Amino acid sequence: MNFKEFQNQSRLYVIGALEPEELEEFEKARKKFGKKAEDYIGECYGLHEAFALSLRPAKSSAAIKDRLMAMVRSRKEA
Amino acid sequence: MKAIQAEDADALSQLYDRYNGILKALILRVIHNEAEADDLLQEIFMEIWNQAKNFSSQKGKPLGWMVTLARRRAIDGLRKKQAYARAEERLQNETEQQPDAWAHNTTEEEIVLSDTRDLIRKVIAGLPPAQQRAIDLAFFRGMSQREIAAKTNTPLGTVKTRLELGLKKIYDGLKELRGEL
Repeated sequence: MNFKEFQNQSRLYVIGALEPEELEEFEKARKKFGKKAEDYIGECYGLHEAFALSLRPAKSSAAIKDRLMAMVRSRKEA
Repeated sequence: MKAIQAEDADALSQLYDRYNGILKALILRVIHNEAEADDLLQEIFMEIWNQAKNFSSQKGKPLGWMVTLARRRAIDGLRKKQAYARAEERLQNETEQQPDAWAHNTTEEEIVLSDTRDLIRKVIAGLPPAQQRAIDLAFFRGMSQREIAAKTNTPLGTVKTRLELGLKKIYDGLKELRGEL
């Protein structure tokens, strides 16, 4: 696998869309390309943020935050 | 994030206020159930609090880290609760009523994220519907290429091409945006 193919596969990898047999090849290439590969995969995770930002924000119940903060504070006190 | 790593509860409160809408939208897109999404949102922020020490700014932005975590939890939740079939049915109904859901998500948001949001929406809306659908099923439903192929009655190779082309266009759009900001 050359680096361009690795880049294509990386974008599928970060969204969990590689098939098992592709994943094996991908991991081999990942080792082969080393830091360059890790940096590229890191950039690809920006896709996650992009997909989340493409959605209209949704309102959540006010009680959720109250429950969350109560749990956090009680754990801190414990 | 540094304050949260130092266990400052007020910082978590601020983080929640800023990002709960984005994360809730993501969870809802995966599980299509309001009450379950609220419960999961709470669990995810608790996990953010517990896992904050593992966050490294060298590996990316806090929002990216939180979205990755939320997506994983939402897809796990979907599978664990065996709500897959029910959600599928809801998704089917939604898709029929609103075939181009991504393209119509335009509202007011915080100024700081609006440029990113606008560009991403434009890029996604500009993709052919088949590429949008393939990416939607992979990212928001956690489906493999084979599952997408089976669900959409499409050859596996075509699914792969659709995913590759669509993701490349979105990735290139993001790169362009980063260059502009």
